[in-house]
Amino acid sequence: MGSEAHAPPARPRLGVFKLASCDGCQLTLIGCEDELLALSEKVDIAHFPEASSRTDVHGRFDVALVEGSVSAEWQREELLSIRERSKLLVTIGACATSGGVQALRNGKDVSEFVRAVYASPAYISTLDRSTPVSAHVSVDYELRGCPIDKHQLLEVLTALLVGRRPAIRDESVCMECKRRGNVCVLVAHGEPCLGPVVHAGCGALCPRFARGCYGCFGPKESPATAALAARLKELGVPAADLARRFRSISGGAPAFADEAAKQELEHD
Amino acid sequence: MTDERTYRVDLMTRVEGEGRFVLRVKDGVVIDAELSIFEAPRFFEAFLRGRSLFEVPDLTARICGICPIAYQMSSARALEAALGLVPTPEIERLRRAIYCGEWIESHALHVFMLHAPDFLGYESAIEMARDHRAIVERGLRLKKTGNRLIEILGGRPSHPVSPRVGGLSKAPTVAALRAIRDELARGLEESLETVRLVARFPMPELEVDYVFASCVSGDAYPIERGDAIVLSGGRGVVPVASWDREMIERHAPHSNALQATLADGTPYLCGPQARLFHHAEKLHPVARDAMREVGLPREVKNPYRSIVVRAVELVHAFAEALALVERYEVPERSYVEGPLRAGVGAGASEAPRGLLWHRYEVSADGSVVSARIVPPTSQNQARIEADLRALGPSLLAMEHGAATRRAEQLIRSYDPCISCATHFLDLRIEPTHEGSA
Amino acid sequence: MTHPTKRIARAELDRLFALLSEDARVVHGPTVRDGAIVDAPLASVSELPIGWTDQQAPGRYRLTRRDDAAVFGFVVGPSSPKPLFFPPEETLYRAERRADGKVGFVPVVPSPAPKALLGVRACDVAAMRIQDRVFRDREHREPRYAARRDDTIVVGVHCLAPGPLCFCASMGAGPRVGEGADLALAERLDAGGHIFLVEALTARGQALLSRLEGSEASDEELRWRDEALASAERSMGRTLDTAELPGRLYAALDHPRWEEIASRCLACGSCTSVCPSCFCSGSDDPSDLEGAHTSHTRHWESCFTSAHGELHGHTTRPRTSERYRQWATHKFGAWVSQMGQSGCVGCGRCIAWCPSGIDLVAEVRAIADGVSPVTMPVAREVTAPREESLVPRAATVLARTVESSDVVTLSLRMEPDGRRDFAPGQFHQLSLPGVGEAPISISGDDGAGVEHTIRAVGKLTEALCALRVGAQLGVRGPYGRGWPMDELAGGPVVVVAGGIGLAPLREALRRMLADPERYPDVRLFYGARTPEDLLYGRELLGWIDRPGFDLHVTVDRAGPTWRGHVGVVTRLLRPATVPASARAILCGPEVMMRFTVDALAKLGLPHTRQWVTMERHMKCATGTCGRCQYGPHFVCKDGPVFRFDEVSMLFGRHGL
Repeated sequence: MGSEAHAPPARPRLGVFKLASCDGCQLTLIGCEDELLALSEKVDIAHFPEASSRTDVHGRFDVALVEGSVSAEWQREELLSIRERSKLLVTIGACATSGGVQALRNGKDVSEFVRAVYASPAYISTLDRSTPVSAHVSVDYELRGCPIDKHQLLEVLTALLVGRRPAIRDESVCMECKRRGNVCVLVAHGEPCLGPVVHAGCGALCPRFARGCYGCFGPKESPATAALAARLKELGVPAADLARRFRSISGGAPAFADEAAKQELEHD
Repeated sequence: MTDERTYRVDLMTRVEGEGRFVLRVKDGVVIDAELSIFEAPRFFEAFLRGRSLFEVPDLTARICGICPIAYQMSSARALEAALGLVPTPEIERLRRAIYCGEWIESHALHVFMLHAPDFLGYESAIEMARDHRAIVERGLRLKKTGNRLIEILGGRPSHPVSPRVGGLSKAPTVAALRAIRDELARGLEESLETVRLVARFPMPELEVDYVFASCVSGDAYPIERGDAIVLSGGRGVVPVASWDREMIERHAPHSNALQATLADGTPYLCGPQARLFHHAEKLHPVARDAMREVGLPREVKNPYRSIVVRAVELVHAFAEALALVERYEVPERSYVEGPLRAGVGAGASEAPRGLLWHRYEVSADGSVVSARIVPPTSQNQARIEADLRALGPSLLAMEHGAATRRAEQLIRSYDPCISCATHFLDLRIEPTHEGSA
Repeated sequence: MTHPTKRIARAELDRLFALLSEDARVVHGPTVRDGAIVDAPLASVSELPIGWTDQQAPGRYRLTRRDDAAVFGFVVGPSSPKPLFFPPEETLYRAERRADGKVGFVPVVPSPAPKALLGVRACDVAAMRIQDRVFRDREHREPRYAARRDDTIVVGVHCLAPGPLCFCASMGAGPRVGEGADLALAERLDAGGHIFLVEALTARGQALLSRLEGSEASDEELRWRDEALASAERSMGRTLDTAELPGRLYAALDHPRWEEIASRCLACGSCTSVCPSCFCSGSDDPSDLEGAHTSHTRHWESCFTSAHGELHGHTTRPRTSERYRQWATHKFGAWVSQMGQSGCVGCGRCIAWCPSGIDLVAEVRAIADGVSPVTMPVAREVTAPREESLVPRAATVLARTVESSDVVTLSLRMEPDGRRDFAPGQFHQLSLPGVGEAPISISGDDGAGVEHTIRAVGKLTEALCALRVGAQLGVRGPYGRGWPMDELAGGPVVVVAGGIGLAPLREALRRMLADPERYPDVRLFYGARTPEDLLYGRELLGWIDRPGFDLHVTVDRAGPTWRGHVGVVTRLLRPATVPASARAILCGPEVMMRFTVDALAKLGLPHTRQWVTMERHMKCATGTCGRCQYGPHFVCKDGPVFRFDEVSMLFGRHGL
């Protein structure tokens, strides 16, 4: 169990926790190859099971990074406990922030889903919805992305350590896309792109790779989903396809879920 | 008096995902060996139904944050088979290059950050860095190079955006890809050092006779493509399309977990040891030399020694990536396309931790009718439990804590990816949250 | 005016390219990439989009083949010269905060290779001139911009076949390449062959022209060019009547069309990003893990982001309609007041590259056509350029006074010279490396240092309030227009302050009280939330007995020991206390100022005798980031003090 004895008391304690997820976001912390060792000197990484056997399941934390969505009852209980023991709770990634790709089950018949995947459905313990962390506890900061961006993760950690607001912009992917000098795939190629309504942070990766944004970072501030849907329809994207595009990686985010529902209704 | 000992870890660490194990030995006989997963299910195969087949690689990537490219590639291959698409050799080389990036990233992560601390006696690589900073820094450097290669080809290391049905959405410029040449050349040197380093690690003893399963990829050491699946022990070669007839999933009564075995109930092993056994001669000459130098046989029966095999594969991935980068020219097309049609297709590739098999049925409008995904950790789970049983008796002579760590180290040897396996395993077990033993 | 003009063969472009490349100059020009014609560094003429053209419509751009080998046979692509001089992201300075509390700031100024721009359209040449005004040729000379921009050779191309989205002629920016280019090309491709007429617009252009092989252009050729340009001017895809457009737009702030546009607008910022003149920016201060080393970075921002309108944690323009209105009224309206010319050059990029296909020209016409204009403020005079004002200097805390539970006054010594030059009502930008920067009004000169009264409301102000004597921080400024001390002289002066609003008024009060001959009658009306929140209590008490000074204090809430007034400050304003001949200066929350202005007006003080300070978030404080815009004003330099009639049409209105 923890090794406070070795740690100077001033070092803030960091915990990394996982709910339903792919581990990609916490892996981003190990992916900070140039900064990881320096970071480990500044903060006491007291609980990070993916990286260390020194764990502190019941400890108190200055900052808790929570990855993953709540999709089983025991995860909800664990989350309540993490919240109680943590001064700051930061969600990392789309699962924790909007329910993640597994929120595609929401609104579906989950018992049928269980039968579809598992030979032995009786053993499956799951909730019928995959929900974001903020549906259960208060969240101090939500870091977007599927996966999160490592520079943004470092920025959030640094800002929290220094005591300032993280410099993370809630603008559209278009802003990043234009700063990078990409050619707009929607305008120049008629490629359906969610960039205008999606939160920046990825560096406009999809347009850089000649494809439309599919929404890993979820909705931006004031997302004009209806206006974009209307425009994409003009470009020939059918309602069913639009619904799928909004109901994807960040489909659990209310703005996208609502637009998807509108399009599904239209399709039916 | 009966002597019953229980070795358990309720929150396994330095593995991907959340699992626990229990090993109970009574009077020198293993009575229970169980690797359990308490990850929450995520229902990929269910929600893939009705999605456009073009979305599938983006969605299946999310099964695993460490080996997303394996998921993208296996699903793209299965869907190409369903559509009758055949990517060009230039496209295959680009896919191999990005997949090499994933092998480098994943193997470097496992060798240095997850597994090495076991051999050197630390709780983590971060702690290990206090005494062995140069080693940990080397691991981080190698991992970073793998990530950089993926970034150039796919935008970001986890869930890259370029892999798609038919190839990659965009090919890099020659200058962009060549920019990593020197880094790869340096990585190749450092990966050779890595082989020498891990070959000197004190190796716990265990010997197991394995049935090895691995993709066959023409004359190449299998990475991004499985033309067929080869089994050892005279069990022959199985077409990818019929792997689900050769391999079955069943309940193991002791654990209530679904496990894959061969049709006759034999557990099998996929991953680095299996690949090396079947394809050692196809390794890049530099990697073969490294094998020879440290005296690694092609049949590695000690699972702990997989760290050396992984290091040899790291050499291979660097050498392969370097050659691909040096010979790179921008292809005319970065992906192939064709008309939609109803059909069924299976596809396989070699994730860093082993064979990853996908099968899809698609309808004429391009939507998914059914999906089936068989990840490496599901396939290895029966084998892991069998190896735990084999290890059990030798633990009795050890102090309890050390014995528990030895058992956990064994499980780590398979580089299990529990998040991937989640949809496959028993989920009834609740975590007790007692922390590590 | 006729410029020397040569006729050169198509093949002679290679020589022009070679001449431009001399002295390791990097030649930028149009080239085909990713399905569009974009700007990039070029290695040779062959990389130009020879034989390519573009088809454009609102929200749509397609690259297509021409049936000839025209070199400049297209209009404008998504990229303008803007990023070459005003990069999308850059570092302005690095800051350091040492363990002993000392700070240091080191400007980052690039020394880029000199550039030549080949094939710039008239609209983009005009846009470069606009950006020159913003960043180089007016009050503040931005050294980074200047380093990239100075010594750039510009080879323009006359636009002889404008596209369907072009309206440069309406904006007076084209199609003829004007001031700002060294050479201007006219491409002629007909039965007579493929030639260029090359016109030298500057001495530098003349020097280049003299080294090109070719003959003097014939009268026929010059006539051909002029006729082609005249024809191009007539065949613009779009036209816009710009007569009194600023006043017409500001008269239509409540037009229902703004809301209707918002049903189509994505607020994505694509339009402002492709605009060759848009200059708004945001800034960040990324730091190392300790916050000891910081980079101050600047990035393109857009009035379509919420951050752009942010003011103390809320956004002043939450609605898309308000953001679109901000953009259109700035581009065509406020710009004229700020810069003396419109911000639009009619290139049509914002129409083509709007993912939603919104047509700015059609929208502006729908809103402003037929509207009677309001009177716009006159563009303020431009002072001489001043070098570098974006990098802070160190200042040392000389004294720290606790004013109330959350308010502290810091007296600062400006390093290295201890200067204390400022006008009452001006502000400084105070910064702490690793934490941030904020505008803080100057509250006085205590004879040793410059005083700043700070209320702890956020991370930065908390950190500033916690600074100890001897600690250092960063200071930029002073900035802005202060109180009209000369105009206040002679008659009665009414000073109305709310809460911490007394801070920017204090030095004005001190100077007036110190000079009773000029300011014989000064009356302070001061309201605060509670008696404990009253600032400068001891100093105020010391003033009470001064002849010609009246003090009226009120609080919103008070305990039983309070014997003064309770209630809003406007209740103190009565005919008995406010002479109708007075001039008034006001500072406090916006709502308090609004009621005060009305109350004073009823007492006979016209808007032209009342001055207010406007609170906006000053990011750069030099009028180059666009953050603090308030209608046609930059609060950071046109304000923060405004005579009320200058802002009356905007005051109290939401979403500006």
